[in-house]
Amino acid sequence: MPSYSRYGRPALKNSVDVQLQTAFSDGNWPSVIRLADKRAKSLKDPYYEAIKIAAESQLDSAAEQCAVLVAIDELIRQKTVPDLDTIDLYEWATQDLLADLEYAETLGPLRARWVKANPKSPLAVQCLQSCLEYWDLVSAQQIAATLDKTYLNSGDRRYMFWSIILTFLLSISPQCTEASRKVYSMLVLRQLERAADTTESSEKLSSTDRGLLTEEECYLYYRVLLKHGTRDDFVSRMQSQRLGALAQLKEKRKPLFWEALDAFESWGEWDRIYDLCNQALSLSADGGKPSFFACDWQVWKRFAVAASKATDQEAALGQVQDVLKKFTAETASTNAMYKKNIRLALVETTFQLPPVLLNANPDHGGMTPRVVQLGLFLEQYFDRLAAFDDIKGYVAQLSFEEAKCFLEKVLPNILGEDTDPIRQIILKSLECKLRYLLTTCPQTLSHYPSVVDGKEQDKDYRCRFCSNLTNLPCEHCLKKIIAAAADVYKQVATDKKLIEAIPKLDKDPRIDLAIVMALSLLKLSGLRQTLSDVPAASALRDVNPSLFLQAVALLDMQLRETPGDTGLRLLLVQLHLLLGCASYAHQLWIPMDVKRTIQDALSPLFFDRISSISPGLFQGSRPLMEPLRSYYSNCMRDNSPLRIWDAFSSGSYSSILDMAEYDSRLRRSCTLMMTLVEERRATRSFGGKIECDIEDHVLVSHITGDTTLVNATDYGSFPNLESHHGAPVQDLVRFGPAISNERSHLAFLSEQYLDLILFKYPKDYKLSRANEVAIKDRNYVMETLSHISSSLTDFIHSSKTPQGLTGPEMTYYTVLSLLSAGLLTALTTSRADPLPKTFSLLTSSIKSAFGGLRTTFLTPIPSSSPLSPQSEAFYALTDMHTMSYVRDTALAIRHSAAFVIAFHEKELARDRSGRSSLHKDVIAEMKALDGVASKALGEVKARIQRLKEQLGEGGWLDRMLEWTFGREEDEVSKAVSQVVPTEAVEEWIGKVLESWREGVKGWGMVRME
Amino acid sequence: MANFRRFRPDDLNKLSKCNLDPLTETYELSFYLQYYAKWPSLFQVAEDQHGNIIGYIMGKLESSPDVYQFSEHYLPWHAHITAVTVAPEARRLGIGKLLTEQLEVAADANDAWFVDLFVRSTNHKAITFYKSMGYSIYRVVKDYYGDHSSDPTKDSEDAYDMRKPMKRDVKKEHIREDGKKHEVDPSDVW
Ligand SMILES: CC(C)(COP(=O)(O)OP(=O)(O)OC[C@H]1O[C@@H](n2cnc3c(N)ncnc32)[C@H](O)[C@@H]1OP(=O)(O)O)[C@@H](O)C(=O)NCCC(=O)NCCS
Repeated sequence: MPSYSRYGRPALKNSVDVQLQTAFSDGNWPSVIRLADKRAKSLKDPYYEAIKIAAESQLDSAAEQCAVLVAIDELIRQKTVPDLDTIDLYEWATQDLLADLEYAETLGPLRARWVKANPKSPLAVQCLQSCLEYWDLVSAQQIAATLDKTYLNSGDRRYMFWSIILTFLLSISPQCTEASRKVYSMLVLRQLERAADTTESSEKLSSTDRGLLTEEECYLYYRVLLKHGTRDDFVSRMQSQRLGALAQLKEKRKPLFWEALDAFESWGEWDRIYDLCNQALSLSADGGKPSFFACDWQVWKRFAVAASKATDQEAALGQVQDVLKKFTAETASTNAMYKKNIRLALVETTFQLPPVLLNANPDHGGMTPRVVQLGLFLEQYFDRLAAFDDIKGYVAQLSFEEAKCFLEKVLPNILGEDTDPIRQIILKSLECKLRYLLTTCPQTLSHYPSVVDGKEQDKDYRCRFCSNLTNLPCEHCLKKIIAAAADVYKQVATDKKLIEAIPKLDKDPRIDLAIVMALSLLKLSGLRQTLSDVPAASALRDVNPSLFLQAVALLDMQLRETPGDTGLRLLLVQLHLLLGCASYAHQLWIPMDVKRTIQDALSPLFFDRISSISPGLFQGSRPLMEPLRSYYSNCMRDNSPLRIWDAFSSGSYSSILDMAEYDSRLRRSCTLMMTLVEERRATRSFGGKIECDIEDHVLVSHITGDTTLVNATDYGSFPNLESHHGAPVQDLVRFGPAISNERSHLAFLSEQYLDLILFKYPKDYKLSRANEVAIKDRNYVMETLSHISSSLTDFIHSSKTPQGLTGPEMTYYTVLSLLSAGLLTALTTSRADPLPKTFSLLTSSIKSAFGGLRTTFLTPIPSSSPLSPQSEAFYALTDMHTMSYVRDTALAIRHSAAFVIAFHEKELARDRSGRSSLHKDVIAEMKALDGVASKALGEVKARIQRLKEQLGEGGWLDRMLEWTFGREEDEVSKAVSQVVPTEAVEEWIGKVLESWREGVKGWGMVRME
Repeated sequence: MANFRRFRPDDLNKLSKCNLDPLTETYELSFYLQYYAKWPSLFQVAEDQHGNIIGYIMGKLESSPDVYQFSEHYLPWHAHITAVTVAPEARRLGIGKLLTEQLEVAADANDAWFVDLFVRSTNHKAITFYKSMGYSIYRVVKDYYGDHSSDPTKDSEDAYDMRKPMKRDVKKEHIREDGKKHEVDPSDVW
């Protein structure tokens, strides 16, 4: 370790006297400066001058802080070897100034220069470490190369590999110039090939040889070959008896084997995959028994897929089965997980068989080998929690006849003679899930002509299970599933013995039953993925509200019974966000304790768009998103990937590569952008102070228009009963499209736009040389506007954008892009010039886009709504997001108008002739836009007021009950009310109402200016 | 279905199946990365067919710091299990056992005397799990945890320090039968 920690003070040289040492360690800077100055003069040692300069940097005045920068500059220009203690001092002194001082151009090269002159010094490694902390790869690579040369064949292999890996990191880093990239890529490839050849050609390698020895060294070799080598070269090197994938697997080095498989798959080299898997799975362990070391699911799956692609498919698949048989013979001592992998591999192999080999006997109905295998699998595993997930993909591939046979002949016989009631229940619950799954598979429907006997049909399909005419998915089957699941549910709930048995089970079977029912209800309600082609954000506008509400009420009741179930909880969080019950959704969210590392992947599930649904949540005592922000601040405090030095010092080369990649991804996280944007929007809603321009924010200052932002949301815990033919459940229940690169950039740019037009000099700020400043300001505004405008336009028109935004978001960003373009024209057209036609085109586009949003907002009740006339409130409460964007768009228009007018007045004041002031039509148009926007803000205010009043009125419980269950009972609501007691529904309604009231109260505090 | 492989940082975005379970602690990023940086082969995961992590083990190899050489609590070169967890839906399939066995293989390969771990004294499932694989209680660390997992009125809980001897410990010098009677303070353990 260096003699100081990154954020601590460095130790002074031992030769420094006690008085100065004490002053320095006390941080008594004036004393240090005085004493160091004295010593510098008397001792003529420049080190004291350095101490003085470093101490001055701790003072407040900018001039004194700059002295250290000047001193560093001086050192660089001198071209002599600098004093290391001086560098340490300067590095410490500049740590807060570093944005202004590129380490890689200053201290990094100084350290590299020092190491070159002192290669044998133990302090050289510290210099490497410092450069890595600042992620100055250029200097680090130079230092590592020096060290490697110095310790050639020393037995400490790290120097050689540090040099190699740094050359590699540099070759793939933006820090590398294009010219050097080629050189470094070749260099590192050659170095490793030479090392590999050394290994290949020597009987036994000693640690002083420059060959590949450890797993990590070989891993690095594979990674570099893959990145910089040719495909042929990689393939041929994989055959090696020493370093090839199979040889390495024999040495228990699985990652290398996987690396090779991944590469082969990416190139479609299935023959090679077949051979490799075959050999790997045929390796035997002690005593000639098969080795389970490679018995992973991926290996089996690839083996089977590769066999199905072989020229002699039959022989290849036969070989897979032979290998499988060897393993199945070994069942006694086999780990349960391996056993399951093997069983599933049997299923997989059967599903890979080509139709001709399947021997499907038409007399056997759908009882094909595939169905038989699924049955055999289920006989052993149907009561395991993962059973459904394990077979889901296969069931979705069954033909209709197979599926029918599977449901009607295989499933009912799984239990055989077993009459255990709990197992019966588990099987029935599995059956409900499978039936639901099949409603999402197109092969269960047949197309139905749209015109029959001259009559138009509104149903496109006939369901092959129930023969009814239907749309996708089959409503009749869904209703039957609801009824069946409700029956089983009731059976459990009313049987004391069953209830008592539940705690001993892995999972309460009622959870799955409730989820199947709820998902069926949601499908029946017409819930669809919301995209920006519908003007309103609310997914609820076009759904049957009763069915939707029944689904939520049911799940809510179930969660109270089984609060530990995460899948259920996640669904409910999403559904309550759709309902506009953000505070209740938050209550449901908190117990999951999403904190620290998992926030990046999970926080979007609650926080995305939260400021537009319920800004009031930000008014709590603890800043809502503080944990997220501090997570990112902690992770990104340094430029280097966290813990990277640990990996260097431990020789974990593959870790270094993956940590660097992860770090780069984290810095480009959509969740990170979401965090900042949501907070800023909420802060502005309440008139709070925003700490700095978003572009200057340390967490995102590295993001430019070219940066690809990454969405890493983890939906793994959602209960997913859908087949791959349709959207997964999260797309259905999420409030609008997921976060994306495009949306994140649009949000980032829109914040930049607002930063620009809302900028005000502090009140007490005295402008000296006002004119000069005004010109500079003007240039800055023009440059920024033109950048924002063109970037906004680019992103708006990106083909992926529409599918990533809600309707209101689309309007907002469109209007912002039009406004920025409009402003640019407005500010560059002086009074005397003719106003380009584009200007009025822009403003009329703004009016029409905004008008469309307003119309949606003002007509909350869809014409198709089955709810009572008072339902206006329901639709308004479930679509606060649209209202929020009416407000945001209106405010953006108003602020833009104000900006233009202020600009105009400033110009008037500056140049009384009026020649440089803006065109009168511009002013008039902007005022007109302002008028429209003000009116819309009035409408928003009125809406909030009205909602407050409506929610204050009585009768809500009855109204909600009626909305939930309809006026008269049908088969579905009957089934649901069998399962959900009225008290439970009432309790839930209470929560919904309370949450709506809280939300509206929060909106009441939002500023409309 | 499962694959067993080394952890890689991307897996941190796929932890929900394990970490949303209240029995599994979520750490800071630097904590995971420290293990990945220093002992990558002791950080293993089980993933399902969608790439979700359904189990993981995180361990290290070390001995007590040299300054404690002569302390009675000094631990010689050994492997330590810092965390092992399996997603609720994937339990009792042998995943936990496989992960632990892999770590033991690495411990033997690195010539460790034993593998040890701390477990809450009320975590009966986990204690049974470890015992089934040959671990035994070596000592009790009083009030090791600053909270209690099942009793909210208590503000601390004991840990069992459990151990399994590795090949190097031929004479079984590093385990004891009456470990439950040996109580130590949290300050005595590292
Ligand atoms: C402890 C834990 C890791 C076990 O993982 P697992 O994959 O379910 O365990 P395995 O299937 O490998 O079990 C191996 C053996 O341990 C024993 N065992 C495991 N879980 C058990 C339980 N709940 N009850 C009784 N015995 C159990 C059994 O003997 C089992 O063998 P068997 O299934 O053939 O009878 C898992 O329950 C877990 O993640 N718990 C929460 C996190 C935790 O407590 N971690 C330990 C912190 S120190």
